[in-house]
Amino acid sequence: MTRIKSSALMLSGTVVLACSLLFAQVQRPGEYPRGVKPSPMMNFFVTSEPVGDGGNLGGLAGADAHCQALATAVGAGNRTWHAYLSTQARPGQPAVNARDRIGKGPWYNFKGEMIAQDLAHLHGDTMELAHQGNNLNKLTGLTEKGQIVPGLYDYSDPRDNDWDYAKTTRFSTRHEMLTGTQTDGTAFTDAQDHTCNNWTSNGSPAPGRANRDLNAADGRFNAQIGFPDRNGGGSGSWNSAHGTRGCAQVDLPKTHGIGLFYCFAIN
Amino acid sequence: MTRRYAYVSVVAVFLLASCLLLAQQNQPTAPFNTQGVAPPPGTNPTPARMTFFVTSVGIGKGGNLGGLAGADAHCQALAAAVGAGGHTWHAYLSTQARPGQPAVNARDRIGTGPWFNWSFAQLGPPQNAVISANLGELHGDTLVQAQRGSNLFKQSTRNEHGQLINGVGDTPPIQHEILTGSKWDGRAYDDNADHTCNNWTSSTTGSAQVGHSDRIGNGSSWNSSNATKGCSQAALESTGGAGLFYCFAIN
Repeated sequence: MTRIKSSALMLSGTVVLACSLLFAQVQRPGEYPRGVKPSPMMNFFVTSEPVGDGGNLGGLAGADAHCQALATAVGAGNRTWHAYLSTQARPGQPAVNARDRIGKGPWYNFKGEMIAQDLAHLHGDTMELAHQGNNLNKLTGLTEKGQIVPGLYDYSDPRDNDWDYAKTTRFSTRHEMLTGTQTDGTAFTDAQDHTCNNWTSNGSPAPGRANRDLNAADGRFNAQIGFPDRNGGGSGSWNSAHGTRGCAQVDLPKTHGIGLFYCFAIN
Repeated sequence: MTRRYAYVSVVAVFLLASCLLLAQQNQPTAPFNTQGVAPPPGTNPTPARMTFFVTSVGIGKGGNLGGLAGADAHCQALAAAVGAGGHTWHAYLSTQARPGQPAVNARDRIGTGPWFNWSFAQLGPPQNAVISANLGELHGDTLVQAQRGSNLFKQSTRNEHGQLINGVGDTPPIQHEILTGSKWDGRAYDDNADHTCNNWTSSTTGSAQVGHSDRIGNGSSWNSSNATKGCSQAALESTGGAGLFYCFAIN
């Protein structure tokens, strides 16, 4: 009797210990936080999923709807969500600046941590602010599900560059956010493509004509991207580091993106 | 009674099983990278082209580096130990003006660039990846340069062995507070407060301005984020530093 009692107690103790060990781990990139809902203050997130058709997001409207749907799925659909994306001017159609689409801030992430106080803080509008930087970084640039976005060397799998692999896991490197903007949050004003034709193109360069240097050039399918982890691409810029190797979904993983973008609530 | 404890055991086993299942769902598919602990696999020797590194160890006396001369000698010794002593190395540190002794700006001590870290130095053409092409890019002299930032970030601020510096989110000890004594433009402070541990001679009182090698923290600047709580080694370590500093080759 006593023996059974003590072994039952020991077993319970082991269970409690094992459980606490399993759950005490640091949250690794790509993992979901356990049993945590987004802060009611959340009005910023990185999309956990791409639209899935490369740079064709269905225009700004399609991208906004993606933000809204992802937010709704985690109970944050009461706000109005906009994608942080610019479009370039076309005949009879003025440019749209990403910074003009996202309200006034302050913006908070999944955990309720402040990303930026206002537009000037977010973009570094003055020399002082630009050097200080905003509060977006690897640990704060969370998805609507609270995930840290996997970046360089988190898992270091060469298959990260292959969409066929990347679409089967949430742990592939995917830290390139589509923005189509310049560092100050405004649209590009030159004639080249920085927005996958205003987020309607899934075009891929002809074989042998990939964007090797990742700069925009005449006739190239291209989108400007930035890094929520401020880590990579020649500058670590959160919103304007470099271009992509094309606009097809399979082109984006070649430089460690999968077509994710930033969403901000305007209210 | 026996039956009751048997029930408890069954419930316990069930809990353990569900616990294991739940935990397993959150396991990544690939092993976690031990960044910052060791150089990448297939490690090459430190290349002679390397012209930038973060000191792998501090001098160990807090903010007392033996002045600029002592700090430069530390850079030179660490570089020489890995076969990169062919360059002339200077520490990226400012000193403040004293009577009869003008201020020294860190940015005026490090040559003109471009600067290569341990891993960029191995690439060579055509990538020719650099920490920065020149002083303007490194310090963000124009607004666009400042908004973009330089190529100095977590994955590029490596020590002379090619290892990454532990930053926010890594296994402690975090060592991302890098001594600079500089404003974000790379120049010395011109007020009366101490920003340089008394021009890198104090290991007790005073304070030093630091930058964050991973560009994460209160202010994400690589060279001017915040002030330390003091100048002792313990004070530096208490806020995520180790008395490390940046070294640049001037030739």
